[in-house]
Amino acid sequence: MPEGKTLLETRGITVRFGGNTAVDDVHVAMAEGEITGLIGPNGAGKTTVFNTITGLQKPASGRVLLDGDDITGLSPSKRARRGMARTFQRLELFLSLSVRDNVRVAGDILRSTGRERFDLDERTDQVLERTGLTDIADRDVSDIPIGRARVVEVARALMTSPRLLLLDEPASGQTEGETAVFAEMLTGLAAEGLAVCLVEHDLPLVMKLCSTIHVLDYGALIASGTPAEIRESPEVIAAYIGTEEAAHE
Amino acid sequence: MTTFLTYTILGLVLGSVYFIAASGLVLTYNTSGIFNFAHGAQAMFGTFLYWHFTERWGWPVWLALLLVVGVAGPAMGAALHTAIMRGLRGTADVTKIIVTVAVLLGTVYLAQWVWSPDEAHTVDMFFGAGAKVTVAGVVIRYHELVCLVAAVAIAAGLRVLFTRSRAGVVMRGSVDDPDLLRLNGHDPERAAMLSWALGSTLAVLAGVLIVPISGGGLDANMLTLLVIDAFAAAMFGRLRSIPRTLVGAMVLGLAANYVLAYLPSAGTFTGNLRVSLPMILLFVVLVVLPQDRLRGAAIRTRERYRVPTVRAAAVWGAVLVAVVYLYSLLLSDGGVSTFALGMTFAIIALSLTVLTGYAGELNLAPLAFGAVATVVAFHTGVEGTGLASYMSVRGLLLGVAVAALVGGLVALPALRLRGLYLALATMAFGEFLSNMVLRDTTEHELFGFTFTLFPDGSLVVPPPKAGPLDLRDGTTFLMTATVLFALIAVGLAALRGGGYGRRLAAMKDSPAATAMLGQNLVRLKLSVFMISAAIAGLGGVLMSAAHGTVAQESFSFVGSLSLLMLVVVAGIGYISGALVGGLLAGVGASVLVATFGDLALESEGMGNIYDALGHLVLVGTALLGMGVGRNPSGFVHDVIEGYRAMRGARPLLYGAGAFGAGLYLLALTGVIGTWTFALVALCVIMLLPVLGRMYLDEGRRDRPTPLELAGVDEPYTEELRARLDRELGLPALGKGGAGA
Repeated sequence: MPEGKTLLETRGITVRFGGNTAVDDVHVAMAEGEITGLIGPNGAGKTTVFNTITGLQKPASGRVLLDGDDITGLSPSKRARRGMARTFQRLELFLSLSVRDNVRVAGDILRSTGRERFDLDERTDQVLERTGLTDIADRDVSDIPIGRARVVEVARALMTSPRLLLLDEPASGQTEGETAVFAEMLTGLAAEGLAVCLVEHDLPLVMKLCSTIHVLDYGALIASGTPAEIRESPEVIAAYIGTEEAAHE
Repeated sequence: MTTFLTYTILGLVLGSVYFIAASGLVLTYNTSGIFNFAHGAQAMFGTFLYWHFTERWGWPVWLALLLVVGVAGPAMGAALHTAIMRGLRGTADVTKIIVTVAVLLGTVYLAQWVWSPDEAHTVDMFFGAGAKVTVAGVVIRYHELVCLVAAVAIAAGLRVLFTRSRAGVVMRGSVDDPDLLRLNGHDPERAAMLSWALGSTLAVLAGVLIVPISGGGLDANMLTLLVIDAFAAAMFGRLRSIPRTLVGAMVLGLAANYVLAYLPSAGTFTGNLRVSLPMILLFVVLVVLPQDRLRGAAIRTRERYRVPTVRAAAVWGAVLVAVVYLYSLLLSDGGVSTFALGMTFAIIALSLTVLTGYAGELNLAPLAFGAVATVVAFHTGVEGTGLASYMSVRGLLLGVAVAALVGGLVALPALRLRGLYLALATMAFGEFLSNMVLRDTTEHELFGFTFTLFPDGSLVVPPPKAGPLDLRDGTTFLMTATVLFALIAVGLAALRGGGYGRRLAAMKDSPAATAMLGQNLVRLKLSVFMISAAIAGLGGVLMSAAHGTVAQESFSFVGSLSLLMLVVVAGIGYISGALVGGLLAGVGASVLVATFGDLALESEGMGNIYDALGHLVLVGTALLGMGVGRNPSGFVHDVIEGYRAMRGARPLLYGAGAFGAGLYLLALTGVIGTWTFALVALCVIMLLPVLGRMYLDEGRRDRPTPLELAGVDEPYTEELRARLDRELGLPALGKGGAGA
């Protein structure tokens, strides 16, 4: 179970779209220096949980805590300024800017708020270097393959020096080689104390990287635990393999 | 009591008509996602047709009504959808709005062409104004009964359509997820077309009903704006709910009549307030609407703009100043003044470049901010009297500052919402200003000062003067305006290339991602709107000074819209687009139309043709605007791209340069006229890229065809086949049959 200090916690968040309950009373936690996994079949509510954590979606009930403070009412930009950063499942790159400017603009925003002073070009180069994007830095962001475009979103998020990094299916569209490099980078980031949360369909990747995994199904949290515990959980097996066995019982 | 009842009935009748108009708007918005700014123009056009049938051709009312509401209305809507609106799926909100604005302008120009605004057109009530019943001492005309019954019937009909019928459900789905509908075997385009036909019919019906109850006079501009009042009712229903729209329309109708009944009728205030009510309500609704959910990039826009470096912008600015100076030497005094007026419009156009081109937000009333600055500058900056009077720099700057401030206040409530709402807020402000402020000729007393905002309905704005720089001289004015344009342009280029510009671009591309990087979107939008309003204010004061005398009409809503449309057509992402669009709006159209008008007067035989050409110019620009969905970058950009490709054709460029210099000398020495020079120079500029392409193609002829195109563009010859075999490393089959 988590050993680092808990950075973010959701307490019973519930989200409804019309009559549908997309997320139902979900408790998850993310700790510093650890990679937390959030998995579940399609439509389980993973992205909605992310949207609620980041403030893009208001919950019908429940609270979101950062450092123990209730941030449920804060706007997305205020949460970002408190150290939250994310990527999007459906890419949200700035299509009129180059790869470098996509990353640099995050620094522009940071500087405009006057919280931090730093050499923008130097920091941009460092982040590009670290994420392995230097070779395509001056290309139009709309011309690069989707696997690398996902890395641009990660680089952009890293530019804000976040404490919590929420990644929504970062490995989809990546080649096996790209995923391996990416996994190594995530491990490195966690080792530096960053709290990382991963929504991902690539189960072997999640099992390998994460120390804690939360499993969602139909909006409800059906299991939380270490990869070994998740692998053994009958609810998870039922949700993933299908409900036939469950129905036969 | 009778007074109250009478005005209540009148209010309900007006509300009924507002509802009919607003329901059509809600209908099209919900099925196509397009907020139809041309709704009022469609109503206007249908009503003119009705007038034409009943008055000019003397057809019976029932037949005219059947043709206009039953045939022309639906046909107009279906045609609009097929020809224009269906092509707008997947374009930016800004593009959608501009296209409907272009339709609005085109329809107004067309109507003014067919039905001369100099003639009076009146539409009578159904059954005549004398047909009425008296209930409890209140007189109700049959026409008013028709309005009430029609509104109730339409409300009920739409309710059934949306909730009960299959067609209505498909309509609602077609904006949310057209692909899903298609998968389920429905045709979203058919549903959308049906709704456009229905919406247009409702607009036309509203037009025919509203003209008699608001005086009977039919005027293209007035009627278009009258139906725009229904926007407020539609907003009250959040553009979704028919019942709430009904409530909004009734509140609006009643308020307008109660104001008339119970407020003092002395002075201009009450009348102005009545006209402004819908826009005030629209603004209030905007303020109380709940915040939108932050969205990502709903669509991947096709607009992509090349960003100039500051140095390039400075070089081009210097070139512009030089060219304008050389050209001004050819012009008469009158020509210089007109050109200067155009340049002030170009400065106002720059306000749109930064707001729309860089930040992706819309201002539908840029001239209104020019009006604010003008009024302030007039009251604080005019020094001296009579012919020696001038506008001080202090007044100018104060005007600009107030314009920025007012811009911030106007934009603030709408910034939490989607771009459409900012557009509507600016529109509401523009209408409010032209009705309440620019018509305010009464004396006020505030903090001990006595003043009149708009004495005599017009302001005499003297030319600015700063130390030795006196703008009374036409050429000095023109050159100062040009230099100011160039300076602002360089400033904008610097802005766009820096961190602030990158943040604007990011916000335009994906608001959600920008917020997730810690950007406070409202603050960023507010700052850019204030910058834009300040530029519009500066341009506005200069425009007023160039005009000399300005009145309410100088800042009209239609004027703002046509400026915006021309800038978009020319290329709103580029400074060059602002220059060309502004010049076109300021001088282009008016000069051309006036020229054709003069020609028509001169040669009687050709009069009709020249007259038609003049109108065609106006309608043509609107047609260009409607096509902007296909080419969002604008035409100036296309021409410039053509030149970019011509770098290789140096001899041609030098030749053209020499030709231009020769032409200029001829014009300077008076051998050829200024118009000849301008037309020939324009033709050369437009044709050169075409010639260049031909020249470059000539050189390219010898290059080998790419192999994958062998046999496609060129005949598949033996030689090509041999080359293919060689490249693929195959044994040559021709002679290899034996060798293999």
